[in-house]
Amino acid sequence: MNDLKQLLRDTVADAPPGHLDLASIVATGHRRVRARRTTAFGGVALAVAGVVVAASLVGSVGGDRAEPASTPPRPDAPTMRLADAKRAVEGRDYDVLASYTNENLNRDNGQYLDGVTDDGLILFRNGPRDGTGWQQHYALMDPATGEKDWLPDLKGVGQDQLWPVELGADQLVLVSLENGLRGAMRAHVFDRTDQEWRTLTWPGLPKTDFPRAQLGPDHRLYVRIPATQGEPPAGGWPTASDGEADDADAAGDTFHLWSVSLTESSDVRDEQLSVGDVAFTASSMMWTDRTNGDAGSVHVRGLASGDEHSFDPHAGERCNLLGFGATDDRVVMSEYCGTYDDGVRDDRVQILTADGAQVVTLQGSGLDGVLPSGSEVVNASVYAGDDDSRSGTYVYDLSSDRFLRISDGLSQWGLGGPTGDARQVMWHTPVNHRNGATQWVGRLRD
Amino acid sequence: MDRRQVDAEFSEFAAASHSRLRSTAYLLCGDWDRASDHAQEGLIRVYVAWPRLVRRGGELAYARKAVVSAFLDASRKRSSTERPREPDIELASGEDVAAQVSDRAALMAALARLPERQRACVVLRYFEDLDVRETAAALRCSEGTVKSQSSRALASLRSMFESASRDELAVIGERNLPW
Repeated sequence: MNDLKQLLRDTVADAPPGHLDLASIVATGHRRVRARRTTAFGGVALAVAGVVVAASLVGSVGGDRAEPASTPPRPDAPTMRLADAKRAVEGRDYDVLASYTNENLNRDNGQYLDGVTDDGLILFRNGPRDGTGWQQHYALMDPATGEKDWLPDLKGVGQDQLWPVELGADQLVLVSLENGLRGAMRAHVFDRTDQEWRTLTWPGLPKTDFPRAQLGPDHRLYVRIPATQGEPPAGGWPTASDGEADDADAAGDTFHLWSVSLTESSDVRDEQLSVGDVAFTASSMMWTDRTNGDAGSVHVRGLASGDEHSFDPHAGERCNLLGFGATDDRVVMSEYCGTYDDGVRDDRVQILTADGAQVVTLQGSGLDGVLPSGSEVVNASVYAGDDDSRSGTYVYDLSSDRFLRISDGLSQWGLGGPTGDARQVMWHTPVNHRNGATQWVGRLRD
Repeated sequence: MDRRQVDAEFSEFAAASHSRLRSTAYLLCGDWDRASDHAQEGLIRVYVAWPRLVRRGGELAYARKAVVSAFLDASRKRSSTERPREPDIELASGEDVAAQVSDRAALMAALARLPERQRACVVLRYFEDLDVRETAAALRCSEGTVKSQSSRALASLRSMFESASRDELAVIGERNLPW
């Protein structure tokens, strides 16, 4: 007897390699969005013209008054704007350790710097494309010489996307999702001594739609599994002045926290904790109630003592938490807080002490900050438009409270990865009329 | 939501879902190159709709719908003289050829002979594991239409397997027919 379901699955099991032309999809999608907005704005313009006529008629009788311009509110904290950043100088403020250029990523997949190991080597990836057998290949690259030590092939991943979660001196850990969406999370562990890959899955771990995993100080992998998702308001999100749906002040999402062993597939633990975002430091675990919306409170648990305290971070009323990181004495929250006149966005990176005291809030339209695990340098990229002079990478040094601008311009690609040294930073700049990108690895001087 | 964040989130989704969407498209059209085109067109439509999709968690359902729409749109645009590529199992003769005709090839040949919407019902119901309501939503038709189209499609597939002297085709694990 032939089972129809099994036959359908078998039929596609040996699919020939297919190239995902993401650049082309995004570029075409952009064009269609722009075309749709042009039509929508045409309608708006007509409606506004009607309002102007009516207002002038009213004005002729009783006068009129223009509404005050709507601008982002000032955060309730010491605030720095992008213009407050000092220009970083190579050799004085930072050193470049390595760089790599892909001239044209619109034409084909390329090679990427995916992070830095604890012992200072760069994880180099040759992306799947013609000439690579549509497989991705990894190497460890010496930043001083550019010499690459190619790792054995990682079997069974094809063109699946992998995310590094630990780049250690002893092992590399990357995670991926089996079977695309709603699959089992798997970890690919490369033993640098034995030069062997092994792949782990955990039958007891619920399936997920994205591998949200990070390594804890106990060397377990902590995984957030989706629990609840904030609903849009009735009638949908309002449209901002830039034509985008403005989802500021969203309800936020929650996750169940699980942890798994990196050596034993049966070692799976439900941490019995509902979280939004999570961050680990050497001595503590910090988390928010929710993410991708109103963050709620920040909770801090000492890993040795088990003591906990919580605080209200006093994020702005309309702020959605988008990113979360921590050091032993600082909490970093990346937030989107609404769009105002002329498409000006209220984007913030809020920096607090581990007790909730406001240290500083960086504020600027297009600002997107992240504190990589183990780092003490906030990496804040700004994309304000291709021709906007504010676009580029900024860094905030948590150890010295310096706010520096490290580059002009930002490539259109999402590049980079974790860094092994707390003062290392990765950034990327556009080349070849924005068709390509140069990736940079640097280290901030003390 | 920040455009770059949108692009990053969409890119993750596209990378994770592309293989699955391409497989669905292949079962619909029977050609991997054309399947790649349908998957690509489907993902472009997802990109355009992304800001309103991500919060509702409906991105995969929308993507599936978009790929099916891309396939149906392309089918409508194709010249009426163009015939979909299909392995013709009835023309297979001789021991060597017969041995090479696998059940999978028989299935693809049989699917190719179904009308497009019946084929879509089979793929969505039995490959994507959608229920009748979800299949109706994906095809923008009534649940009754899905039931009748699925019923006719399964009957045709069984008949084609029988006439090709293949083992009986069944939906194992379903005690009751879904209609």
